[in-house]
Amino acid sequence: LGDTKSPLIAKIAAGAVVCVESEIRGEVTIGARTVVHPKARIIAEAGPIVIGEGNLIEEQALIINSYPENIAPDSEGVEPKTMTIGINNVFEVGCMSQALKIGDNNVIESKADLGRNMILTSGCIIGACCQVNTCEVIPENTVIFGSGCQRRVQTERPQPQTLQLDFLMKILPNYHHMKKTVKTTSAVTPAKN
Amino acid sequence: MSGTVQMEWHQTPGNQVDSHYCPSCLENMPSAEAKLKKNRCANCFDCPCCMHTLSTRATNIPAPLPDDPSKTTMKKAYYLACGFCRWTSRDVGMADKSVASGGWQEPDNPHTQRINKLIEYYQQLAQREKLERDRKKLARRRPYMPLAFSQHTIHVVEKYGLGTRLQRQRPGAPITSLAGLSLKEGEDQKEINIEPAQALDEVEPLPEDCYTRPINLPEVTSLRQRLLQPDFQPAGASQLHPKHKHLLIKRSLRCRKCEHNLSKPEFNPTSIKFKIQLVAVSYIPEVRIMSIPNLRFQKECQVLLTLTNPVENITHVTLVGCEEGDPEDINSTAKVMVPTKELVLAGKDAAADYDELAEPQDFQDDPDVVAFRKSNKIGFFIKVVPQREEDGDVTVSFKIRHDFRNLAAPIRPSEEGDAPTEAIWLTHHVELSLGPIIA
Repeated sequence: LGDTKSPLIAKIAAGAVVCVESEIRGEVTIGARTVVHPKARIIAEAGPIVIGEGNLIEEQALIINSYPENIAPDSEGVEPKTMTIGINNVFEVGCMSQALKIGDNNVIESKADLGRNMILTSGCIIGACCQVNTCEVIPENTVIFGSGCQRRVQTERPQPQTLQLDFLMKILPNYHHMKKTVKTTSAVTPAKN
Repeated sequence: MSGTVQMEWHQTPGNQVDSHYCPSCLENMPSAEAKLKKNRCANCFDCPCCMHTLSTRATNIPAPLPDDPSKTTMKKAYYLACGFCRWTSRDVGMADKSVASGGWQEPDNPHTQRINKLIEYYQQLAQREKLERDRKKLARRRPYMPLAFSQHTIHVVEKYGLGTRLQRQRPGAPITSLAGLSLKEGEDQKEINIEPAQALDEVEPLPEDCYTRPINLPEVTSLRQRLLQPDFQPAGASQLHPKHKHLLIKRSLRCRKCEHNLSKPEFNPTSIKFKIQLVAVSYIPEVRIMSIPNLRFQKECQVLLTLTNPVENITHVTLVGCEEGDPEDINSTAKVMVPTKELVLAGKDAAADYDELAEPQDFQDDPDVVAFRKSNKIGFFIKVVPQREEDGDVTVSFKIRHDFRNLAAPIRPSEEGDAPTEAIWLTHHVELSLGPIIA
């Protein structure tokens, strides 16, 4: 009985640093070495959210798996879709992401806005204040920038923020309380009473 | 006689370049040096992709020690990167440099030699034409063109080759514009001959797959990116090299009629102050809108305006409505009733904030007209009747007449002791936009 899935409690892997002031609602899984700043919001309304390792989710970022606009929340036959976020992504301050599938090493800059039908592969950078709401797969290493959402392809992917993550994992616990982590399930679970 | 009292707002004052500076490193440059460097900064670069400023970033790369090739040590390598579009100098194949600044070279233009030779030839031609023109000018003096002969304008003509009527009247002589290029005096007048350009019969044919090859869209440069590099105009993004940053200028303004300096900024690029700043705002009482009630079509509304006195002596202001058929009154969409009495504004007292004493001056304001009075500011009412029910803002206009004392003029000693400076009455047209009608 130790592993009953409680959809109301987020599953935070050991090694992740999630501040208590962040709002995590619904069935959310957060991988190891991920840092979630205070005032970040991860809301799984219309389905679960799975966040990989090494991600950096900054203040006032909003990752939300919400119902599409034309479907009422209570209608029948709506399958909950899982939102997957890969590893080493950065969600900068104030961004909003509804994209269902985000790969690795992407950077979503401040106040960017991602629609639900976007699929980010890897190495993509969505520039600050860019609102992208198309129904497409963004190819690798694409940079979207500027008020007209211009695009260009860069030759190298953005570096993972390992230094910043290490620093935050040391410093944040000194100033904030952390949410409890859950031990990752191993093959042999000791029987609990 | 002191300078003229005249409003310059309907005539652009004469512009002059004061100083050159780089907007990112704020380095000052004298005009001669700027011209030599083609008005570009030596240290700063622009991103060829999005035209923002490039910043230098450092990475650690392992490099073999010079003494012992088998061991490697971390060395710093610098590359240029754009923070906005994430372009880096590595994208175009520029190798990382080992020095933080000064290592970056712009690619050479293969046509530089030919262009330089042509410029020399045309400089010589322009010099010869200028000498001929000068001879003609001195031969027949035209008295109705005094400006063309003043030292100031000749200097301008030499530097830029435009701006005077003399230049503009000769459209068929494009070479005179090159007279502005610097030419050292006393240079040997050796004849420079250039070969005329050769017209070729055969042109390189287009590649065979020109129409069928699929376009690699990220590789195609936009027109703007291309034209910012007029030497190469690369069609492919992998050829876009960064250019040095353009310098900006600070300019000083002069009155066209009396050549008096109106505005002269500080030389230091970090300073926004002015050495000379003769702006109308510091002499003319300022009208500001304080509160607007709900404006209704054809209903009289009372709008509260404020008048601020920028000078230190008492100013008398009279407001007059615009007459029918006033040529300056083009935009007003409402009738306005301004106070008929003369409004008196106290002088601006810099020490008023620290003075705890009550207002010694008693102006006996009519409470129907003057709403409040505070040091050099008064609030007064005007009545507005919107005449048009259309969308758009209600606009009213009226004339403001005030007395102006030119304190900059030297006080002429008179026999009766000191005489007060003469007051000149100036009238200005004021237009106020009061916002939309609320039904």
